[in-house]
Amino acid sequence: MSLPEIKLAPDTIFSIGNLQVTNSILATVLTSVSIIIIALLIRRNAGIRPSKGQVVFEMVRQFILDKMVISFGSMKEAKRYLPLILTIFIFLLLANQFALVPLLSNIILSNPEGTKYLFNAPAAHYSMTIGLTILVLLIAHISAILISPGKHFGSFIRLKPFFKMKSIKELPMAMINFFLGILDIIGEIAKVVSLSTRLFGNIFAGGVVVLIISSLSVVTNFLAPIPFLAISTISGLVQAFVFAMLSILYISSAVNTAKQADS
Amino acid sequence: MEIESAKFLAAGIALGLGGLGSAIGEGLVAGRAMDGMARNPKMADKLFTNMIVAMALVESSVIYTLVIALILIFS
Repeated sequence: MSLPEIKLAPDTIFSIGNLQVTNSILATVLTSVSIIIIALLIRRNAGIRPSKGQVVFEMVRQFILDKMVISFGSMKEAKRYLPLILTIFIFLLLANQFALVPLLSNIILSNPEGTKYLFNAPAAHYSMTIGLTILVLLIAHISAILISPGKHFGSFIRLKPFFKMKSIKELPMAMINFFLGILDIIGEIAKVVSLSTRLFGNIFAGGVVVLIISSLSVVTNFLAPIPFLAISTISGLVQAFVFAMLSILYISSAVNTAKQADS
Repeated sequence: MEIESAKFLAAGIALGLGGLGSAIGEGLVAGRAMDGMARNPKMADKLFTNMIVAMALVESSVIYTLVIALILIFS
């Protein structure tokens, strides 16, 4: 029994200057290109009498839009953030199923230093997931600041209760409020860690489990990994949905707090 | 005990305990959601999406443990 070497960092294929192009980046580019091709193909046949692909895409769009209207509260706001969320959702939906593409994830480059895989699941590279997360949270904070800068910062550094005090008895309450505001700042940092690690951990663990099961012995090479592949497929779908839902939640809660305080 | 074996042991124990807590939490979430769905089948769609999001939040604790275990093994 020989277990394959499991690496946390993706393999570097080549580098442009200081930019290391890893196998996950190649897979990300491949996914993006295939999404663009699918979109162009569907757009060509789009019309008042929808083709089969158009129906599927409209269903996905309507599904996400319905969820967004519920959390944003209005159709206008929901449509404003729809392109971002829908892009993330469709990208992750395809990217998490990368392991299902036959042969592509088995291409091996052999060098004197060792073997490298040419493609790897995009979300199995931590830089990809943390990049997406930082993008989402930056957009959440910037759009909240654009609506009302004072109120947005005021919801983290809560000095207002100190000025509103009528007697010294309210001081402990105000101090607790101030402390809760500081806890919210820590919560924002935890959001970055949890949102990015959730996606990375699930996709990475799914790949590792299939790899270990298929390399346990000759017997478990062919049929035994199938249930685990099925589980990682389902978890990929669920994680794409969860990432989109949590992005909606974070953006809408930041925007709604800024708006509520404004009126 | 050598430091290397202690690392592997720590990773295994951490992930086992993390998985235990997370499994109990996810079971509670799913069970309560099933209760709600059985009581009010009209709400099933809404409850299902909320259940998935709540499960993802519960799962994050075991994901933290996974990261710690990975750091222990690979560092």
